[in-house]
Amino acid sequence: MPPRFGCLDLNNWAKSIPTIEGYGTEPLTLKGARIVEAHMEIEDDPADALLPKTMHPAVPAYAIFNVTSYPESPFGPFAIAEIRIAGRTGVRPRGHVLRSYVNNEAAAKELAARWGYPVAAGEVSVVLRHDRVIGRASVGGKTVLEIEEIDRDSISGGDIQYIASMHLSRNKGDGKPVLVQVDPEYVFARAERGRPRVVTLDAAAFRADGHLRVTWPIAATYAVADVTLPRLRYVCNPELPALQGTTKVAA
Amino acid sequence: MKFGLFYEISVPRPWTNETEKTVYDRCIEQVKLADELGFSNVWAVEHHFLEEYSHCPAPELFLTACAMVTKNIRVGHGIIVCVPEFNHPIKIAERTAVLDLLSGGRLEVGTGRSATWTELGGFRVNPDETKKTWDEIVHCLPKMWTQERYSYQGRSWSMPTRTIIPKPYQKPHPPMWVAVTSPGTEIDAAERGMGSLGLTFGGFKEQEEKVKNYRRIIRNCEPVGEVVNEKVATVNFLFCHEDDAEGVKIGRRLTGSFNYLAAQLVAAREAFPSKSYPSLGLLPSLRQEAAGPGDESGAPEGVAIGNPARIIRALKHWESVGVDHVNFLLNALETVPQEQVLKSLRLFAKEVMPQFKTSGDQAAAAGGR
Repeated sequence: MPPRFGCLDLNNWAKSIPTIEGYGTEPLTLKGARIVEAHMEIEDDPADALLPKTMHPAVPAYAIFNVTSYPESPFGPFAIAEIRIAGRTGVRPRGHVLRSYVNNEAAAKELAARWGYPVAAGEVSVVLRHDRVIGRASVGGKTVLEIEEIDRDSISGGDIQYIASMHLSRNKGDGKPVLVQVDPEYVFARAERGRPRVVTLDAAAFRADGHLRVTWPIAATYAVADVTLPRLRYVCNPELPALQGTTKVAA
Repeated sequence: MKFGLFYEISVPRPWTNETEKTVYDRCIEQVKLADELGFSNVWAVEHHFLEEYSHCPAPELFLTACAMVTKNIRVGHGIIVCVPEFNHPIKIAERTAVLDLLSGGRLEVGTGRSATWTELGGFRVNPDETKKTWDEIVHCLPKMWTQERYSYQGRSWSMPTRTIIPKPYQKPHPPMWVAVTSPGTEIDAAERGMGSLGLTFGGFKEQEEKVKNYRRIIRNCEPVGEVVNEKVATVNFLFCHEDDAEGVKIGRRLTGSFNYLAAQLVAAREAFPSKSYPSLGLLPSLRQEAAGPGDESGAPEGVAIGNPARIIRALKHWESVGVDHVNFLLNALETVPQEQVLKSLRLFAKEVMPQFKTSGDQAAAAGGR
């Protein structure tokens, strides 16, 4: 087994994580989501501190910057902006979500309680232009994340492989931190790929001050898709490697 | 059926100069023994930056060392990444010719295009382009080996007239192969008259279909070279032990280590969506299949681990679906101690190899010297 594991300071990080109500979450399909995502290589050693011990760093280290707008939901329209550090839980590619800015309080509450999203309030938008797609998050008028997909080119939705997320949250039952795996399903109506650009990154706003430095661009995608937030299937003990600390919570 | 070795050269941390050297020395010791035991090929991959998984960025050097300590075993450059950012085509032609000379005409040339973002990104390669550049280069190589003077004006590279020297020892040139990982690449191999160097082993039924398809298409191929290399090879793991349970147990450790390491790499498709990479390539396929459903012993179907009888059954099955060559991975992360690797090779040669017909000189069969 590779000896490189994440080294997130769990005690410190867990001071502000959401509480998940339980693992019996019902799936929720959200129609017509507009998803812009940028993949960027990042400095690897500092980023190890952004991955829990459960996860191995990806080789090379990279981050996923995702801004998604949902035009309709049971909680009204909402948008979410987040940064995930790519890694592996055991042999599976996964992204550890650092923070999710959400522009709708009711949606944020549900996302945290049902899927463990590490939510925070912010203004979030996905803006389409002919030459680029822009994803942006601001807090109190200050931009904390702005990404772009430029040189847009159509591809097939089947070419896109979004990796599942890991949300560090607190189990309401025993009060202990737990990593919740969230692997949405996507039905694509449109997909494209272009060059990524990170215009603004306030790492501190994503709890990554001093640990998240973008180095090289990889790719950006934009897609329109129906997204189903799933029934939870696996949770991990964030203090143990995934092979030792993973629990199946649903079939 | 012929048997070969397949090297990724996996080196566990910590990477001291001694650990790296020890692993290389052990590999060469294994190849030397394999040559004495009658194995027909040793293949070495070209990989870059794949931490612990593969420390084999210069296979031509490793294979030269192998050739220097062996007499008969053929050396397989498998695969050369046919992407100009990795290897300039002139250098490919030159260094393969020299390796063929030094090995006395024992070279096999595998070609491919890399499947990880780890490598493609490292060399600043556009993944959309790799299939096209591979195709361009495999059409150039035989001409560079056989024409006295050569010039080329192409899409991904060009050169004015020069004499590319030396020429390979084998005439007209060494046999050529294609690494087959993505679905349909066996068709690319067949259409170009190249051997199918399978780097996933799939299920028996799937392999049988692929082989049938390959043999049907290659009959009407337009060969890239001056000879057609109609051969189908697959990769497998090998750990042979008198005691079946012990063999399966240690073999599972080997496959598990390999698969775990492979999973840590970033497949091209994961990071850079592209229709050029419709599957995740070698690594996840091998992982799934080698961890797949097996019998009550825990040995996955078709994997060459266990006692000789079990391994014979698995290999007979591969033979029955049309596979000509099986290339074995012997270790990963040095999970299996060297003495056990050597013992496993000896037992395989004594008990398993005699159960399979081998057919003459491979170079001759491939239309070589």
